[in-house]
Amino acid sequence: MKKRTAALISLFAIPLVIVIGNKVFNDKQYAFISAAVVILSLVQFFLSFERKENAGTKLVLIAVMTALSIAGRMIFAVIPGFKPVTAIVVVTAIYFGKESGFITGAMSALLSNFYFGQGPWTPFQMLTWGLIGWFAGVFSSQLKNSRIYLTVYALLSGIAYSLLMDVWSTLWFDGVFNVRRYLYTVFTAMPFTAIYAVSNIIFLLLITKPIGKKLERIRIKYGL
Amino acid sequence: MSAFAKLHPTVSLLYFASVMSVAMFVTNPVIGLISLFGSVLFCLLLTVRGKKIKEALFYIAVMVLVTVTNPLFSHNGVTPLFFINGNPVTAEAILYGADIALMIVSVMVWCKCFTAVMTSDKLQYLLGRIVPQISLILSMALRFVPMLRRQANKLTRTQKAMGMYSSDSYAERIRSSVSSISVLIGWSLENAVETGKAMRARGYGLKKRTHYSDYRFVTQDAVILIICAVLWGTVLFGMSRGVLDFSYYPQISAIPSEGLSVICYLAYGCISLLPFVLETEEIIRWKYYRSKI
Repeated sequence: MKKRTAALISLFAIPLVIVIGNKVFNDKQYAFISAAVVILSLVQFFLSFERKENAGTKLVLIAVMTALSIAGRMIFAVIPGFKPVTAIVVVTAIYFGKESGFITGAMSALLSNFYFGQGPWTPFQMLTWGLIGWFAGVFSSQLKNSRIYLTVYALLSGIAYSLLMDVWSTLWFDGVFNVRRYLYTVFTAMPFTAIYAVSNIIFLLLITKPIGKKLERIRIKYGL
Repeated sequence: MSAFAKLHPTVSLLYFASVMSVAMFVTNPVIGLISLFGSVLFCLLLTVRGKKIKEALFYIAVMVLVTVTNPLFSHNGVTPLFFINGNPVTAEAILYGADIALMIVSVMVWCKCFTAVMTSDKLQYLLGRIVPQISLILSMALRFVPMLRRQANKLTRTQKAMGMYSSDSYAERIRSSVSSISVLIGWSLENAVETGKAMRARGYGLKKRTHYSDYRFVTQDAVILIICAVLWGTVLFGMSRGVLDFSYYPQISAIPSEGLSVICYLAYGCISLLPFVLETEEIIRWKYYRSKI
């Protein structure tokens, strides 16, 4: 039943949204369509997670990792842009797989915005962080064993986070993709992009090994 | 609790979706002004605590900034006011910036109201039926955040007693914090596994589970839902007929004011002011009952 719903959403809803956007939201159609497609893809990811009956322990572990990333974002809120969220999402993805990585990323965005303020950017942030987790899960074997890959991934995810969020703010401002505004936004956001990337590298190099060791220990202790 | 927050969560969610979708995706100064007016009135009634002036100043600053920077990105328009580096700064670009600023600030204020009304328990209730596992993660993560902070506090105090955090030097503080955080992570992961085991022992994952819910869909919810749907439908119909179209480039068009446009403005005005009306009615009723005592 749920499987079918998810398939139907991708088959019909996205083209439908594009048609509605084109007919109703004339000059802001790109902003509307992008927002609607982002929300629909989030729904798609969530439903594919729900399709499996996950063990209670796995759900609690994902919840703890989400809570850790939110608490981390709060602790480091004094330094703008310097946050451990990406690092924790990536570690979760490496050890629990791509679906868990996506959910941790998306939930960290949604829940931490209860403290930092929800806005039209919330779904985009959810999708971006979710995808960072998803791809970390896809490349988990490389990331687990090589510090070089880990550093490269941390750097790229910091840059990708910034570039993707700027696409959204440009669309939201102008309704169409105004290249001049996009370049300007990317340019002014450069210090933040640098902080994202650097903080991702620092946190990932610091926490991946210790968290991995702790998870290994728990696996032995509780016989998971 | 405010009168609007007492509505059924589904109704509140659909209300915000309808009011914000129009505010975000329609370029029309009249709609923008209506949206800002409605959101500010609602927000003023929702937030009782201070800081209002500071926030208002922040929003005004955002508006000014967006308005004056827009000519940097777009040199469209037929009315150049002056030139910077050979690029024209046009009246159209400035007015378009003002329109974007109006939209951005009004959506931000609506989001503020959204956060105040749609508390996490309501969100959980809405998600619980469709995506039960994700809703469980959501509720547990929300509960873990304050728990982690409390535990971190305890850990730091214990570590101080053990002689860490002994000097104020930067290196010592970082070393102590890292060891606190490491202990915190280990503790919370173990705690998570134990919670998971306890859940299994208590029958998590069995079929035929029930949901706790404190929300009942009453007549008032149905009435408000229907009113919203009709008003929103009217605005969407107007949009698809193009009666709300307004363009800044190359030249500012006249504000649409034919019959159907005015009906759409009125419909959107009613949606935007709906929470304000509900709240005011509640306040008046409260005052009336008190006066009878």
